[in-house]
Amino acid sequence: MLTFLLRRFLSAIPTLLLSSLLIFFIIQLAPGDFLTPARLNPNITPEHIAALQRNLGLDQPTPVQYWRWLTNMFRGDFGESFAYQQSVLALAWPRILNSMCLVLPYLILYYLIAIPLGVYGALRQNSLGDKVTNVVMYILLGFPSFFLALLVIFGLLQLRYATGWDIPINGMTSDNYLSLSPLGKFLDIAKHVAIPALVLAISDAAGLTRVVRGQMLEFLHADFVRTARSKGVTEFSAVYRHTLRNALVPIIAGLGGLLPAVISGAGFIEVVFAYPGITPMTLDAIASQDLFLIAGVTMLSVILLIIGNVLADILLSVVDPRIRYA
Amino acid sequence: MRKALFVALALTVGSATAAPFVLPAKWMAANPSQAKTGGEVRIYSLSDYKTLNPFTSSEADSLPTLMGLDGAGLAGLFAQDPTTDKFIPHMADAMPTVSNGGKRFVIKLRQGMKFSDGQPITADDFVTTFKIHTDDKVGSNSYDNFFINGKPITLKKIDNNTLQFDFPQVSASAYSRMSFAPWPDHVFGPVYKSKGAEGIKAMWGISTNPSAIVSPGPWVLSSYQAGQRAVLKKNPYFGEWNKDAAGKPLPYLDTMSIRLLKDLNAGLAAYLAGQIDIFGASKADDLAQIKRAIDSGNLKATLVPNVSPNSTSQWIVFNWNKAGDPFKQKIFRDVRFRQAMSHIANRQGMIQLALGGLGSEVYTGVYPVFKNYQYASTPKYPYNLAQASKLLAQMGFTKKNAQGYLVDKTGKVLEFNMSTNAGNTVREQLGRIFADEAKKVGVKINFTPIDFNNIVDQLNSKGANRPFDAILLGLSGGDNIWPYGSNVVPCGGNLHAFNVPDNGKCLTPQESLMTKLYFQGDQTLDDDARRKIGEQLSKAEALNQGFIYLVGTNYHVTYNSRLGGEYDRDLWDAYNGSRPYAHVTTYIK
Repeated sequence: MLTFLLRRFLSAIPTLLLSSLLIFFIIQLAPGDFLTPARLNPNITPEHIAALQRNLGLDQPTPVQYWRWLTNMFRGDFGESFAYQQSVLALAWPRILNSMCLVLPYLILYYLIAIPLGVYGALRQNSLGDKVTNVVMYILLGFPSFFLALLVIFGLLQLRYATGWDIPINGMTSDNYLSLSPLGKFLDIAKHVAIPALVLAISDAAGLTRVVRGQMLEFLHADFVRTARSKGVTEFSAVYRHTLRNALVPIIAGLGGLLPAVISGAGFIEVVFAYPGITPMTLDAIASQDLFLIAGVTMLSVILLIIGNVLADILLSVVDPRIRYA
Repeated sequence: MRKALFVALALTVGSATAAPFVLPAKWMAANPSQAKTGGEVRIYSLSDYKTLNPFTSSEADSLPTLMGLDGAGLAGLFAQDPTTDKFIPHMADAMPTVSNGGKRFVIKLRQGMKFSDGQPITADDFVTTFKIHTDDKVGSNSYDNFFINGKPITLKKIDNNTLQFDFPQVSASAYSRMSFAPWPDHVFGPVYKSKGAEGIKAMWGISTNPSAIVSPGPWVLSSYQAGQRAVLKKNPYFGEWNKDAAGKPLPYLDTMSIRLLKDLNAGLAAYLAGQIDIFGASKADDLAQIKRAIDSGNLKATLVPNVSPNSTSQWIVFNWNKAGDPFKQKIFRDVRFRQAMSHIANRQGMIQLALGGLGSEVYTGVYPVFKNYQYASTPKYPYNLAQASKLLAQMGFTKKNAQGYLVDKTGKVLEFNMSTNAGNTVREQLGRIFADEAKKVGVKINFTPIDFNNIVDQLNSKGANRPFDAILLGLSGGDNIWPYGSNVVPCGGNLHAFNVPDNGKCLTPQESLMTKLYFQGDQTLDDDARRKIGEQLSKAEALNQGFIYLVGTNYHVTYNSRLGGEYDRDLWDAYNGSRPYAHVTTYIK
């Protein structure tokens, strides 16, 4: 196991170097830079723009900028955002934590919805329940989550008008958040996170449900399940110990991608619900060509992707005894 | 009567010790006696706040601006009176003593002004703030304010309460240039002395503890939750030297909370739900939704659409520097062609189709909201296809080819490329409407939206052969003091986008006249004299048609009915807004 980890660590170094190179130069390929909007501002003189360029280091050749960024990264410094004039890590970290508050409940809901539904669909194949689930899932598969979210917000607003309930429709906390007790703060966030997390989980569960259902159907009819049944194991054991465990193997292999997903936020849902996660900040950074903020956040998710894949591999060897990293 | 007496009394007592600034009652819609003290206004911001540092902050809508009233309405040494557009003393005790032909201003400071930490605001604070803004290593956005044509304005302290500004030349915008928010010398001064620009840049980042922030204005930061909300508390010392006409200290409110709502739809939802008090409605759909909510009784709010035009316009500019294509260069340089293009622009159609009916026609670079700089003598070339055909025929385009496009004697088709920034749906629609109308008279336009940054590069390019034919884009901003863009109107400016040769020279007499008049007006301190120069300049600009101005959006006002303290309705427009900046007079009914 130790040699496996060491090998993975060594292979990560060129991967990271190469990805840093790609990230940096692909961002640079886009025309214009952070100061482009200033050039269209009738109130800013060219001399002032030149001074800003010097201050931000944008007058240096690209390879020099890259080298500076790379060497700083070894010291844990991911560069400084142009717009905020602050270190990328200090800026991104609170946003990442906010995103985690949304993404973790979403993931739990996601698996809690998708796996039981998939198993149910396989066990009661072609029953009325299975058919209804299939139809609903097909509709959700074709629905972008942000659009679903807009519909939900509209519905909540009407509900608010009709009942007068104070249902949170956006944000992460209430106005009086800072004056609440620790338990009150927790409940306040939970109240705000519940709806976007549920919307996201329901709209995303469609795909996974179908994978689980297909996997389960395949293994339910496999020889080893029949053998187990003929040996007289209980139905529960046949379904959950023998079938489900095998059916989940490809899903566990895909868990590696979850770790970067946790930090890269919940995507457009965060924008639609005005949630203070990392996605709105990254989108802003891309729109304003805030070079180091984009590059820093992307690098972070590459690093986590690598770590996540190692963890997923280890998890796989626990679930599937056929896999050994010796 | 008692009130009047009280004010008179306050004024006489004040002159003996410290006279506060009294906000004139005629500005306001309601009688000051109706104002209640206390409460909270809940507003929103579309973009995340980037910094608390007044020297590195670069956005108009920033926390330092809200705290310090920097450069907006009631601000700095002088403030613009919305009823007369003249400057009146705010942080200055009286209007300055002007000498040296309008270049020297000696200003006495108002007595009794204090920062939010209770320290007095003195000449040192203004001088230190000025020094830091003018250090190019700091990169302050106000830097350009303190230079005129590259020459610096100087500021020196005569004594603790007296400042002296020296301008390198007479400047129309002298009063607004001198009106900047002073930041505390006792906070920034020592850091600037020991660590210089780098030390200043490292101060007051967005995660600074709010208790360290000191404000000269009505508000001071109380808490900030990244990406969620900022809460500002009243600076109690501000009310000591800022009163309403009834003698009550300003601001009336205790708290201003600002939600950060990245998405305009989220902002609309929050407004409709009554969670925020003010919404900057711009789209017809948004206005319709707000109206429906008000009509159905779900939202108690005031909605006034089309209050005034916004200070913005879309335009088309033709490139006069096309040495590589003499045919096009000749056409673009012909004023008849540009007048014809203005006749082709179906501005009403553009407003109806692209702006949902909520917009205004624009004919010159002085946006219609700057009412004191609109002149009946400024020529207009409104939508008139017959007139356009006539002008093009004068240029020799009399025949049409088989496809219906105009050709000259040698058979060359009247054709050009036009681009705008992709993703801006309004501009894409404007471009299509323009191209469709052009087709009716036989002008072929190849309209393609391209990336924004490419457009800016093309527009900013210099030389005898610049890489575009025509660009549809927009600019915004300006003031009603001298509303002509300093780098747009004179030759050599980087946004004088139709003609940017390497040496920055003018090509036409019209342009030379514009350049001369621009600088003449910019160096005239007297408002009325300046307005007369503006009349000639607007005429020259319109005759030249360097930019074909099209349409601009309108300004709409909507706010929750629980708010009071708005301006007198006659004063509302996109320039003044609907209430004094930063809610100094807003109260909860």
